[in-house]
Amino acid sequence: MTTSAISRPGQRERLSMKLPEIDWRLAFALCCIAGVGAMMLYSCASPTPLSWKPWAGPHLMRFGVCFFLMLVLSLIDIRVWFVFSYPLYVLALLLLVAVPVIGHEHLGAKRWLNFGPLSLQPSEIMKVGLVLALARFYHGVSAKDARLSFKLLIPVALIGVPTLLIAKQPDLGTAILIAATGLSIMVLAGLTWRILVLGGLAGLVVAPAFVMFVMQPYQRDRIFTFLHPEQDPTGAGYHILQAKIALGSGGFLGKGFGLGTQSQLNYLPEKHTDFIFATFAEEFGFVGCIALLALYGLTIAIALRIASISHSHFGRLSAAGVTATFALYVVINAAMVVGMAPVVGVPMPLMSYGGTGMVTVMIGFGLVEAVRVHRYAEITSGRGSLLL
Amino acid sequence: MEPHIYFDEVNERQGVFHRRTFLLGGGLALVGAALGGRLLQLQVAEATHYQTMASNNQFRFRLLPPPRGRILDRNGVAIASNRPDFRLLIRRDEVNDAGATLDAVSLLVPVTPARRRQVMRELEITPRSVPVAIANDLSWSEFCRVNARLPELPGVTADMGESRVYPYGGAFAHVVGYVSKISQADLDKAKKTSANGQVDPLLLHPGFRIGKSGVEQAMDAELRGRPGGQKVEVDSVGHALKEDPSGDVKAIPGSDVVLTLDADIQSRALEVFGAESGAAVVIDVRNGDVLCLLSAPAFDPNRFVSGVAEAEYRALHDYDHQPLLDKSIGGLYPPGSTFKTMTALAALESGLVNPHDRIQCTGQFFFGGRYFHCWNHKGHGSVDMNTAIKSSCDVYFYQTALRIGPDRIAEVADAFGLGHTFELGISGQRKGTVPSTAWKKRVNAHNPANQTWFSGESLSYGIGQGALQVNALQLAVMTARLANGKKALLPRLIKSVGGKERPRGDQFGDLPFSQDKINVVRAAMQSVANDVGGTAYRQSQLNLGDIKMAGKTGSAQMHGYGNTGSGAKERDTTNLAWRMRDHGLFVAFAPYDDPRYAISVILEHGLHGTNAAPKAVEIMKVALLKDPDMRQRIERPLPADEKPAASASPDMSDAPDESLADPTEAAPPPPTSPSPGPR
Repeated sequence: MTTSAISRPGQRERLSMKLPEIDWRLAFALCCIAGVGAMMLYSCASPTPLSWKPWAGPHLMRFGVCFFLMLVLSLIDIRVWFVFSYPLYVLALLLLVAVPVIGHEHLGAKRWLNFGPLSLQPSEIMKVGLVLALARFYHGVSAKDARLSFKLLIPVALIGVPTLLIAKQPDLGTAILIAATGLSIMVLAGLTWRILVLGGLAGLVVAPAFVMFVMQPYQRDRIFTFLHPEQDPTGAGYHILQAKIALGSGGFLGKGFGLGTQSQLNYLPEKHTDFIFATFAEEFGFVGCIALLALYGLTIAIALRIASISHSHFGRLSAAGVTATFALYVVINAAMVVGMAPVVGVPMPLMSYGGTGMVTVMIGFGLVEAVRVHRYAEITSGRGSLLL
Repeated sequence: MEPHIYFDEVNERQGVFHRRTFLLGGGLALVGAALGGRLLQLQVAEATHYQTMASNNQFRFRLLPPPRGRILDRNGVAIASNRPDFRLLIRRDEVNDAGATLDAVSLLVPVTPARRRQVMRELEITPRSVPVAIANDLSWSEFCRVNARLPELPGVTADMGESRVYPYGGAFAHVVGYVSKISQADLDKAKKTSANGQVDPLLLHPGFRIGKSGVEQAMDAELRGRPGGQKVEVDSVGHALKEDPSGDVKAIPGSDVVLTLDADIQSRALEVFGAESGAAVVIDVRNGDVLCLLSAPAFDPNRFVSGVAEAEYRALHDYDHQPLLDKSIGGLYPPGSTFKTMTALAALESGLVNPHDRIQCTGQFFFGGRYFHCWNHKGHGSVDMNTAIKSSCDVYFYQTALRIGPDRIAEVADAFGLGHTFELGISGQRKGTVPSTAWKKRVNAHNPANQTWFSGESLSYGIGQGALQVNALQLAVMTARLANGKKALLPRLIKSVGGKERPRGDQFGDLPFSQDKINVVRAAMQSVANDVGGTAYRQSQLNLGDIKMAGKTGSAQMHGYGNTGSGAKERDTTNLAWRMRDHGLFVAFAPYDDPRYAISVILEHGLHGTNAAPKAVEIMKVALLKDPDMRQRIERPLPADEKPAASASPDMSDAPDESLADPTEAAPPPPTSPSPGPR
């Protein structure tokens, strides 16, 4: 066996040695975010406000399980992650392909696979799988090739195929998120700026055509509604308008815990899921919002720091990729709630009620913690040396 | 070399990653700053704006309908008032399955299938936030029963509202009118007239009733009042969560409207008409106040408040006595012989006729190649003006009218209010027609051949027939002006609104006729009622001491006036179908020596004026007996020096003195059917 992250050569890796290496600041920050989420779910509980039922209690329990899962995953050597990165990606891709065939349709979209009592969203697995696969790919690519070469067609395919499959479901929010995550990993790995600029310009040209001809009508409506929410205050603009009212009426210091009228009286749609940030903003005001955004920012900063101290390129890119996904979640959700982005179904990570998203995020942070614990591990010649 | 290159390669990749991570972090910080700026805008700069919007979301005002103003008679007796009404309302926004809820309700209070269908239909068309009434007028026990079960019936509320009630039933059905549920036409009109194109939500409230006719309609704005609001906290789907009494806005009740009508006179008038059809109007001749404005037969306005059944309405509509028509102001009739007062005055005014001039009545008058008959085919002999009015001699007025021409008559009729509508405050008045040569030119403007006035027309004009048409109110005004003798008084119906007095009817100009001439006519009217030869002598006795009435009978032909050669038998319409019979009219005022009240009675198809006179007497009696001055005069103590009561003693006995004193002397006994009556 090669030199491990923390153990000296020949020394057996023990739990007692690994546990202190976990970044407990990050773990604590995640607990804080989930705690704030539970607090808001407790406040806006429906039909009776200020209740553990039906959301706050399950949210905390789920977070507990996921937190434990994260700790367990953080103890897994990144060389194991490394070895399983491609297989995981392939598995996720197969499941995505299976979705249109045997998937379960819900509200006009096929996103789910049912395995007996268990239902699974392959796009969630793909979020982790893509990060691992790209990190695995770039681990074996030189800086020069990462800038610009024909080799880059591989990551483009790695990103493009699942993005298209997910967009077809249709789940535009996740597709954008997957594509953006992949792109940010490519950039972090060293993609030349020229491609970015050219791609950006091409995007400007293609985007209107995409909006007009490829998008589903309801998706198009969302974009138009985003641009002019006042035109339809009772219809599609309702979400945006009510969210704005919730935010704005919170004022500087907020209405106080449990006193948000917009959420308590159900004017705010999706108050416990996608719009939980508005629920929070109404009760805690501008000060609370800045504090919450700072908490998210701190979490992202810690995670990026972990990525940058990793000795392996795989570790760096996978940790940074997970962090980028997380940051994209936060940014897109916050922008959507404050009316700076169209309404797409992206939850606020760890705060919004809903199991699948939380599991994915915590698995991701398990990977980040694993990178941190095993930051000195060496992965040579682009191949995992642990098993192969 | 390999390790070295490898090392460089690693360093380069790491360096790129570090730089780019730093840029990523910086980019995120920028995005964070943008979010913060946006939050600053929404939560600090525009906070008040959104706080207002949030509170608009949070609180609604539940409409509190104002109590409708009462309608009172001149003595403060309620003609239209409100009574508590227990009702059951259903709100669409709080009910999932209206059908199931109605089924549950029908176990507690009866809900007929028709009512159920109606409720379902109304639920479809009314706005979500407006409740719909399931049942009205619940008894107290039903109300309690439902109230106890309300928790099991979400969306159903038991509500105590107010409902309009008309204690006098039909007596004021036409003049006061009725309120009823608002119609689509009313809503459209309200939408058109409102400033913002929105209907006042009060109009949609299930308890709201709008004035549909009479005073209720004319004074609707004043009676309606202003709705209040009950502040309630509501959630996004409109469920009321809690009330906030401190934020309530009180409803402003509608103003009371006081009429000049007298409930006792009016109800007595309806009584005396019984099943017969007609109109009666009583006016105070001193100030123009209308004390009675009745149209018979009437209908019960209470039936219309909660919505009258189709069949019932149809029956009212199809009945040939026309209970839905206000005959007092909207029914037009030829005035018949009551108009002879006008012809006589016109003759005096013209200077061509002296009241003592005599005309020989042979029972017919040959003119234009045919005979014009007097109602009395035997003829009246030599008659002067007084006798002519007293015995209603047609021949006298044929000749007089012929002599003075139509325009002089029209001038007098116009001065006495015929052909006019008055500022009563209620709609439905019809002008009628007062013919003249100018009138004939006007109505035949497109037919020059018919513009010539024929002298034959003057003949019928002189006895109140022909194109002449008036309504009962105009006749009463005419009589009141005759009685007053001086002032061209105007009728007033609405005395005050919300305590504010309406302009009185006694600020009028003088009649353009000399008192002497008017007195000639008045004296003749007195003879009609009190001389044994008067056409209404027997029917006009008040039996109220020395208070005497003066009057004039009339009967208006319905058909075939002026048919050449129409004989006495053909003029007798007693045996014709009701619809073909002549109208009976009577105008009178009392007391003759100090006129206070003028009355006009039209008895539709009542054959002749002598049938209308007894009704006028009954109504007049109530008016006189309610007047404290008159009462005092009637009940004054026996003068000490007066002779013991004899058969001729006029003042004391209740019994009609004169009729007892000289029953045999009555030369022509007032005609009784089937003999032809005076016109």
